[in-house]
Amino acid sequence: MTLALTLPLRVLGAASLSAARATGALALVLGRTLWHLPRLDLKETGRALVLFGYRSLPLTLGIAVLTGMTVVFQAGVYAEKFGARLYAGWAGAYAVLWEFGPILLGQLMAARIGARNAAELALLKVNGQIEGLRGISLDPFGLLVAPRVVASALAVSCLASITFLIAIVVEAVAAYFTLDLPPRVFLEAVSHMIRPTDFLAGLIKATAFGVAISIVSTACGLSASGGARGVGRAAAQAVVASAAAIFSLDFVLTAPLARWLS
Amino acid sequence: MDLKLDSVSVRFGALEALRAVTATFAAGTHTVICGRAGCGKTTLLKALAGLVHPDEGHVRWGDTDVAALDRWARREAQGAFGMVFQTDALFDSMTVRGNVMLPLLKRGVPEDEATARCDEALKRVGLTAAAEKRPEHLSGGMRKRTGIARAIIAKPEVLFADDPFAGLDPDTERSIAELLLEVSEGRTLISALPDPYEPLSLGQTLVMSEGRFQ
Amino acid sequence: MNVLITLGAPFVLLYRTAAAVRRTGLALKECAVQFVELGTRSSWLVGGGLAFLGAVMVNIAWAQARKYTGNIVVVGPAYFELMIREFCPLTAAILCASRAGAGTSAELAAMSVNEQVEALELSAADPHAELVAPRLVASALAVPLLTVVGIVTASLSAYATVRFVYAADGLAFIDPRFVDLGDVSCCFLKSILCGLFIPLAASRRGLMAKGGAHAVGGAVTDGVVDAAMGCLLIDFTVTAAFFLVGI
Repeated sequence: MTLALTLPLRVLGAASLSAARATGALALVLGRTLWHLPRLDLKETGRALVLFGYRSLPLTLGIAVLTGMTVVFQAGVYAEKFGARLYAGWAGAYAVLWEFGPILLGQLMAARIGARNAAELALLKVNGQIEGLRGISLDPFGLLVAPRVVASALAVSCLASITFLIAIVVEAVAAYFTLDLPPRVFLEAVSHMIRPTDFLAGLIKATAFGVAISIVSTACGLSASGGARGVGRAAAQAVVASAAAIFSLDFVLTAPLARWLS
Repeated sequence: MDLKLDSVSVRFGALEALRAVTATFAAGTHTVICGRAGCGKTTLLKALAGLVHPDEGHVRWGDTDVAALDRWARREAQGAFGMVFQTDALFDSMTVRGNVMLPLLKRGVPEDEATARCDEALKRVGLTAAAEKRPEHLSGGMRKRTGIARAIIAKPEVLFADDPFAGLDPDTERSIAELLLEVSEGRTLISALPDPYEPLSLGQTLVMSEGRFQ
Repeated sequence: MNVLITLGAPFVLLYRTAAAVRRTGLALKECAVQFVELGTRSSWLVGGGLAFLGAVMVNIAWAQARKYTGNIVVVGPAYFELMIREFCPLTAAILCASRAGAGTSAELAAMSVNEQVEALELSAADPHAELVAPRLVASALAVPLLTVVGIVTASLSAYATVRFVYAADGLAFIDPRFVDLGDVSCCFLKSILCGLFIPLAASRRGLMAKGGAHAVGGAVTDGVVDAAMGCLLIDFTVTAAFFLVGI
């Protein structure tokens, strides 16, 4: 009887405790990263940029091509249904810039950057190397965390611009083959109906996702414990938490961005 | 039956783990393979047990070429092998008894017979009291004993022991060595160790470095 | 070349798993365990993620519709059809790829690195039948179900957003007027195929892991990337096929 009464309380208590712990961990990572920003280790940042950004280029290309083609096929159905072929350019570009591009890129980067970052940090943590750094009075945040957060944000925003451009070009080509729409007409529709602010909106979203991925994955990585299993758990947790963060941020950002940029 | 390696090479990407190794392990003999970490001991043991596939050469168990068998026939042949793994490789989701019984249950031995044989094996390694515990709550020596019980329960002809003393204190090391010798009586025992260890090698000690015997 | 291996290898794994199951039978209890595990753990992520997505999409659709057509009610049914045909199955699959893909590759990679997969083999158990098959069955059933959960939460949040934020007729955005059998089969075909592909891609990377804890992290990264890219490709292929056939 008492158990039945206290169980909901206990569950609630445990949930709020873990929520508070997670918020605290995220705030700590964010705060200490900002603290170290003025004295950023440029060499480490460069290394992280190559790893996160340059090495993700082929993947980004794949996302851009697939997204572009899918959007055109899907928009094509309505273009024919409503006799609005000319609007295809607007619909395709708009979907990629505001929602499809940032979300899909963010999800893939949560795996590519987030899981990798969490796994590397978890490995250092499990092997006691993080403690080792503290032992020789080096701050792991200055050396390992801050450069990665900066590199992740930079890499994702650059990759997002590339994704947007390639996706729109791919859309133009796909529209030519499926809707018989000359690429010139498609791109004219894009340039008339899409403003630079739409591009900026996508870029802001993607950059925010990049920051979120790196902070969330850092927190997951640094809380790892217990051998190979612990490293796997940290990496998996980083992917899931980043995915949740991306969808929440998308929700929070869209309306204010739309108001601010119009 | 004899176990033979016939110029076996194993590569992992660019790394050559074994380079044309030839060796014979006669039935009932005890062999120690020693060498530094990364010299290919573990790969050699796993190639012998049919767990790693040679890129070149043959592994012969009697007259059969183990590596050439399809996976069902190979699994059949592997019934003659038991292995004590370096990492113990116990399943934390099962009790000690569940871990030890697994090879019998998967071979279709009826549950009550498997339980009886499991009790016998646990008694032999001195773990009767810990039968219902989970491996994560055991000491290093007890985990090793559980691994040994699992390796011998299906009555294998060849017992492999991959670095069985890793991370154990000298007393436990001695007791595990005695246990290994006891359970491998009448069996072929092939152990991989960082240093030569007399008690386990009645017969040959082979020294490895960089994927081949010295 | 790498792309071909990444896409083709899961099919080899599927073949090997099917062969193993035909020989040793399917552990139904383990399938149920995996199904419950996958379903309960992913439903929050998929349900929540799609609820957010529904609100965001309605936001965007609303702003654009007001600018260009002036008539909101025309946009509603088309929006709902697109959600069912494209956005819900794709997003749900990508979220499952994150959740289930990461979990599966992490677990199997840790087992490989800890020599447990080899211990299974020497115990006369088949790793494909024991480890891959239950996850495959569970995921093929759970992903379509989770997609339905996602459609429900996305529709509810779309309705609520239009009703309470814009004070307009929210029912227009869950109006199934345009939704026909073609849309529903497009949705389910996508989610079943993704449900099959995710555990195969993730298990493959997990079972391939060799070395220490380092390999586990790599396996998770590659497993999720393969699974998610596979979902994108499946989504595109099905969309293209339905478009070309004209359904």
